[in-house]
Amino acid sequence: MPTVVVNVLIDLTAEHPYHRATLNALQHASSHLRIATDVRVIRTDAIDDVDDIVRPGTAVVIGPGSPYRNQDAAHEVVRAARERGVPLVGT
Amino acid sequence: MLVEHARSLIGITDASHAEYGDEGTPVITLLACSLQDQTITVEVTRGSRLARLYGKESATERTTCSYGLAPSLQHIAHEHGMRVAAVDETGEVRAIERVDHPFFVGTLYQPQLTSSPGAPHPVFVGLLSALPPGSSRLSADTQLGNPG
Repeated sequence: MPTVVVNVLIDLTAEHPYHRATLNALQHASSHLRIATDVRVIRTDAIDDVDDIVRPGTAVVIGPGSPYRNQDAAHEVVRAARERGVPLVGT
Repeated sequence: MLVEHARSLIGITDASHAEYGDEGTPVITLLACSLQDQTITVEVTRGSRLARLYGKESATERTTCSYGLAPSLQHIAHEHGMRVAAVDETGEVRAIERVDHPFFVGTLYQPQLTSSPGAPHPVFVGLLSALPPGSSRLSADTQLGNPG
């Protein structure tokens, strides 16, 4: 079964309740829609290439927990998603 | 999202977020009354994407935000393709969306905190529903049991 990639930008640790809540919310939605998702968590200071994150057929979540480690990289992801029509939600 | 919007489309090239210091033009500023760990009621804009997703005019949401769109710049949330999607009880912007985009939604609250297996949050369902055809979707029932 093909899988939809969802890139989640979040700097909070995996143990943080907001980090867990974000991944759980994606799971709730994917189960509801019966969509298989491949959720990839990316720290903002680990963004090497925006094109790897903002690709057609993918979705992007900007998670809670500012200030971000790399604010400019986060803005570049937002800009690219806006310009390329890639679904994005920022929380 | 609002900082990028201000820089790229509104023309405030030095738009900044107050949390990062006092350089530039602060578009996102400390709220006069912090909404950290608060439950708020948001009024959803009629006709917006968010309104369609919620299926109702207001919702109860949780927020961890201490920052929001600067009071003097609230107008930029409905300029250059952006639209106010929800406001709080004070009338300040709490959600935005682009009208020229398949799904571009920002919330100044945390929808993930009210999502549950039996009531997935409409914002996250909307995000995945916006993915193009040909994905792994088997069926899509977007009639939701709304949280809040």
